[in-house]
Amino acid sequence: MAERNKSCKIAEMLGSIPSKEVTRRGLLKTGALLGGSALIMGKVERAMNMLATAEAATPGGYPLARAENVIYSVCLQCHTACPIKVKILDGVAVKIDGNPYSAQNMIPNLKQDTSPWVASKIDAKVCPKGQAGIQSLYDPYRIVRVLKRKGPRGSNRWEVIPFDQAIDEIVNGGYLFRHLGENRYVPGLKDIYKLRDSKLSKAMAKDAKAVAKGKMSVSDFKKKYRDHLDVLIDPDHPDLGPVNNQLVLQYGRIEHGRKELAKRWLGGSFCSVNFYEHTTICEQSHHIAYNEATRQYSKGKWGKGKHHMKPDALNSEFIIFFGTGFVEANFGPPPMCEKITEGLQTGRLKIAVVDPRMSKSAAKAWKWLPIKPGTDAALALAMIRWIIENKRYDERYLRAANKAAAKAIGEYTWSNSTHLVRIEPDGPGKLLRASEIGIGGDQFVVVKDGKPVAVGKEPVTGDLDYSGTIKGIKVKTAFTILKEEAFSRSLSEWSDICGIPENDIIDVAREFTSHGKKVGAEMYRGPVQHTNGYYNGQAIIALNILVGNIDHKGGMTTGGGHWHEMGNKLKRPFNLKKMHPGKLHKFGHKLTREKSRYEESTLFDGYPAKRPWYPFSGNIYQEIIPSAADGYPYPIKALWIHKGTPGLATPAGQTALKILANPDIIPLVFATDIVIGDTTMYADYIFPDTAVWERWGTPHTTPDVAQKASKVRQPTITPLTEVVTVYGEKQHCSMEAVMLAIGERLNLPGCGKNGFGDGLDFTTREDWFLKLIANLAWGDRKGQEVPDASRSEMKLFMEARRHMAKTAFDPARWEKAAGKENWRKVIYLLNRGGRWEDWSEKFEREGVVHKYKKGMNLYAETVAMQKHSMAGKRFSGIAIYEPAKDAAGRVIDDREFPLQLITYKDILGGQSRTLPNNYWMSAILPENYILINAETAAEMGLKDGDKAKLVSPTNRDGLWELPNRANKPMVGRIKAVEGMRPGVVAVSWHFGHWGYGASDTEIDGQVIKGDRRRATGLCPNAAMRIDPVLKNACMTDPIGASSSFYDTRVKLVKV
Amino acid sequence: MAVNEIVRMHEDLQRALKKPVEKRSWGMVIDVRRCVGDHACTVACMAENVCPPGTSYRWVFESEYKNYPELDRFFMPGNCQHCDNPPCMKAANSHRKGAIVKRPDGIVVFNYDRLAGSSSARRAAKKACPYYAIVDDNGGYYTEDTPKLEPYETRVFYEYDRKLSRKKTKGTIRKCHFCVHRLESGMLPACVSTCIGRAMYFGDLSDPGSLVSELVKKEKVWRLKEAEGTKPRVYYIGFKDRTNIAVSTSATCQVCHQ
Repeated sequence: MAERNKSCKIAEMLGSIPSKEVTRRGLLKTGALLGGSALIMGKVERAMNMLATAEAATPGGYPLARAENVIYSVCLQCHTACPIKVKILDGVAVKIDGNPYSAQNMIPNLKQDTSPWVASKIDAKVCPKGQAGIQSLYDPYRIVRVLKRKGPRGSNRWEVIPFDQAIDEIVNGGYLFRHLGENRYVPGLKDIYKLRDSKLSKAMAKDAKAVAKGKMSVSDFKKKYRDHLDVLIDPDHPDLGPVNNQLVLQYGRIEHGRKELAKRWLGGSFCSVNFYEHTTICEQSHHIAYNEATRQYSKGKWGKGKHHMKPDALNSEFIIFFGTGFVEANFGPPPMCEKITEGLQTGRLKIAVVDPRMSKSAAKAWKWLPIKPGTDAALALAMIRWIIENKRYDERYLRAANKAAAKAIGEYTWSNSTHLVRIEPDGPGKLLRASEIGIGGDQFVVVKDGKPVAVGKEPVTGDLDYSGTIKGIKVKTAFTILKEEAFSRSLSEWSDICGIPENDIIDVAREFTSHGKKVGAEMYRGPVQHTNGYYNGQAIIALNILVGNIDHKGGMTTGGGHWHEMGNKLKRPFNLKKMHPGKLHKFGHKLTREKSRYEESTLFDGYPAKRPWYPFSGNIYQEIIPSAADGYPYPIKALWIHKGTPGLATPAGQTALKILANPDIIPLVFATDIVIGDTTMYADYIFPDTAVWERWGTPHTTPDVAQKASKVRQPTITPLTEVVTVYGEKQHCSMEAVMLAIGERLNLPGCGKNGFGDGLDFTTREDWFLKLIANLAWGDRKGQEVPDASRSEMKLFMEARRHMAKTAFDPARWEKAAGKENWRKVIYLLNRGGRWEDWSEKFEREGVVHKYKKGMNLYAETVAMQKHSMAGKRFSGIAIYEPAKDAAGRVIDDREFPLQLITYKDILGGQSRTLPNNYWMSAILPENYILINAETAAEMGLKDGDKAKLVSPTNRDGLWELPNRANKPMVGRIKAVEGMRPGVVAVSWHFGHWGYGASDTEIDGQVIKGDRRRATGLCPNAAMRIDPVLKNACMTDPIGASSSFYDTRVKLVKV
Repeated sequence: MAVNEIVRMHEDLQRALKKPVEKRSWGMVIDVRRCVGDHACTVACMAENVCPPGTSYRWVFESEYKNYPELDRFFMPGNCQHCDNPPCMKAANSHRKGAIVKRPDGIVVFNYDRLAGSSSARRAAKKACPYYAIVDDNGGYYTEDTPKLEPYETRVFYEYDRKLSRKKTKGTIRKCHFCVHRLESGMLPACVSTCIGRAMYFGDLSDPGSLVSELVKKEKVWRLKEAEGTKPRVYYIGFKDRTNIAVSTSATCQVCHQ
């Protein structure tokens, strides 16, 4: 009852903002530089004055109801990327709603052929972040011109320089900062772009791979390429690749469309392998767990798997959410929420939420399971134990050993539960092959009625629980190995580990196995951002396999998917992967040693490796900058940071800032961003990028959406960034313009005149994106094309863009880029913001219409056969529970710190963007808190509202070290609540900025005051544990490569 | 789920708009069991109506009830209740005639000019409203002290058939108007369209075929502070009990209401 008056506080906050929140700071207004041009400003004011005098009711009704004031696009305030409807008034984007054509935002969605004049009146749902996109677009701290640092990195002192000068400087290099007293030669991109010959790159790539695999000697390689050794980073290690790899692109967020473009540019045009997204600071181990569980074996090789499944929540009867939910974060609230609230309200659905914090999702749960962080596998294995003991698994499903057997029993998927695994002295190893016992070739083997059977094409069912010796080889079924792992501890022992009472474990296990296939074990970030993240994920997937719910109505689904924008299915109108004249063939180990095996490299020198290798994962964000600092496997020369903030968003991000601040380590750092971010503040140059609502993209849909959908992001206003000229064409400064400008200077293949082939230039961003959209318009198979836009829709298309300048919308130029024969189809798509599969009775009946129809791996052979690159011991092929470990594989013990730190996302914020800069949302949540159980707080002498410092084993001073700036104390406000597990503290994201408009910026000698509202709250990352072995990075899951966000113990010191 | 409730409510709306205004009876239904406290409605309202900095015409209260680990967590949304016996109207009009009027379709209308001219009318209205529904417009902008006053704040917006700007609403008091500008263009209120949990419903209570009428009839509905005789046009359904969402428990309401 301590919470009784909380609601009143919120009411006060919403009813009238305290006057101190809007203090008159008398800031300098610098319209010409930040926040758009003075010209736009003047226009708006004039318009305002005119309107103030004429304010009678508008003839023709409400302008925002009219189709000619609507442009459909796609949000990116979070990665759910909801299709949106952007409403334009007097040339200004003023209101954002959900796109009613999209099943992600409305079920059933409007039929694709619905007239845009009807759709304009129907707003679909979108979350508060999506609506507040207006405030990210029109952010007064946006940069619109190119900045070059005018002080040490991080000093936040800048000068404005012309775009062309900036491009020349980063391309040519030189003594770029001599005027600041830095007598250092900065190598330019021209020095890094060494390998320029397509044929040579192809031959070298092939042979370097052979060298890595030990199939070619280094000396043979050197002899063969003796005239070209200067293009390599290290001729003694050709498998490190060309010098070109020393340009690294690090993306905080890049989506489909832009992603394919950036990969094409960096890989095929510049010949560097070092392209990275942020995935390991998000939830990568969950993707890797799914990938390993869904890889298919064919012709002696394990292929690629699926990265993501979601429950068919519209039809589920029970869902257990591990470390996630449906209201905040995940993938994501608008598509998931209504399916679940409807299910709860009608009584169709029950949910359980596993989370140390009572989230908004847990608030709706039948059972809230406040688990000890990082013990999800223990809970899942406890459930598995009970399920197996009580024979609550689907034996019929599990016994089906191949596709034919699954088909015979009306299943769509099957598993390797019955497949035999060789038991080696150091544990379970390879799956047994028929050839090893003389009953066939490369097939897997099951035992049926005591006899081994090869798993061929005919239906095969196997014995589920088997352990024995066949032809002298000790074997067990995958199921038996899982069973033994689950039975290795009693329920009460598992309960002690995970902190969930036995009764609750039994209740959820019973519920999970009481609804047939209409159940799902769902996860996202919570269970996997741990050093044991992959295994936690694997254990959760094992629950789904045990009930065989994949592809079933109400079970787990890979979603409706999308049409393919690269044109690689239909091969027309633009088969873009093939349209790259003079393409270079990138090669070499990536800086993060991802997708490479240590054992298959010339750097192999026994265990431990110098830093870990990650053969299973990719996009290992937290390893990029620290690896460059260690020069392992090689140093780098230039880093391009795009829309990202590794120094803030990564656990122990301060270690990255320390490296970035020293130009001796990475001589050239440049950025593309819409603001001066917390990390891009440490760049040498920042190029202004277009904001989400000003640019193009073809984002893909969450598997939560059952229907097929291809979303199209498109410009809704003239970008606020400066106009630059590239390849003779006027365009707005953006990531794409920077790529093309570098392409122009270095004559990169695949850029410029005939960049896509004869007569197909690549000189503006539209040349790329409109081709993607043309591909979507034609679909993946013959006969899938969308209709041509009618004459009136063509007219509408033009009218809706009447406010855009020619630099942003040039219909003749767009038509040329899209292809005359595709143009009207492209318009049909753009008038709807994408293409959308209609809802039909089939979805009603089957739920999961687009099925996965492949095998599931309860046992991951690839993982079992890989050694930990530091510890030298094999990983486990089956889900296990293990405690938090460092890079060497040693258990971390920080018991003297009494509390465990976790993070979460409020619905109002993304990880490092949105709050507190979207002022509508920061009016609701002006700062974040250190959430702690009220009783725990009282024991520590802390009470609600106190301020406390976050102190950890690797941050004993509780300071965020910011090189070349004042350090930021890790201080937050205590919020003592009931809805937290005792002994755990939670700090949400979004807050604790020093960049992003939070502090003063000096540009051309003028000081632009920071906004105090943007500096509130606490980001807990600098408290997160630095790995004791690596010493310059956080801890990491050795398999899935997720960075460890939740394994840190902390103390709170009252201040 | 096969019936799209948004489309259904749009159809209800089209039917209502064919009737003369005095035959319409606008009403809102809020199913608290489905509110997830995400504030999509709050922010939609701020954007649609260009609410003064720090305010919205809507609230979503939040509260914990009971202790770890048995607790519940609640979300309670609301807005102007468009009372048929509006205490604000009585109070304000005693200071300034016609400051607040009641439309025949049920919407309670603030006359901004009249209210701006009478601080006593404004004070009285705010004091009389038992629902936290009224906000002050003291002028000011979110971005006024930043490098740029942004155009989404200085833009025109539409309330009660009027084209307004913040310059015009400065010094008055404001509140939810059921997005009447949207209604009359055939659109649902912004909060209703955007509710991600589908807790919000809107329509013509005088049309027995409308979704809101159906809900009022079918569900156990209640209204806020009915005892005060305000006769609100906003109906609530249920209160969530975490262990059984389909059951209403009045006990939980005691968290906020003694």
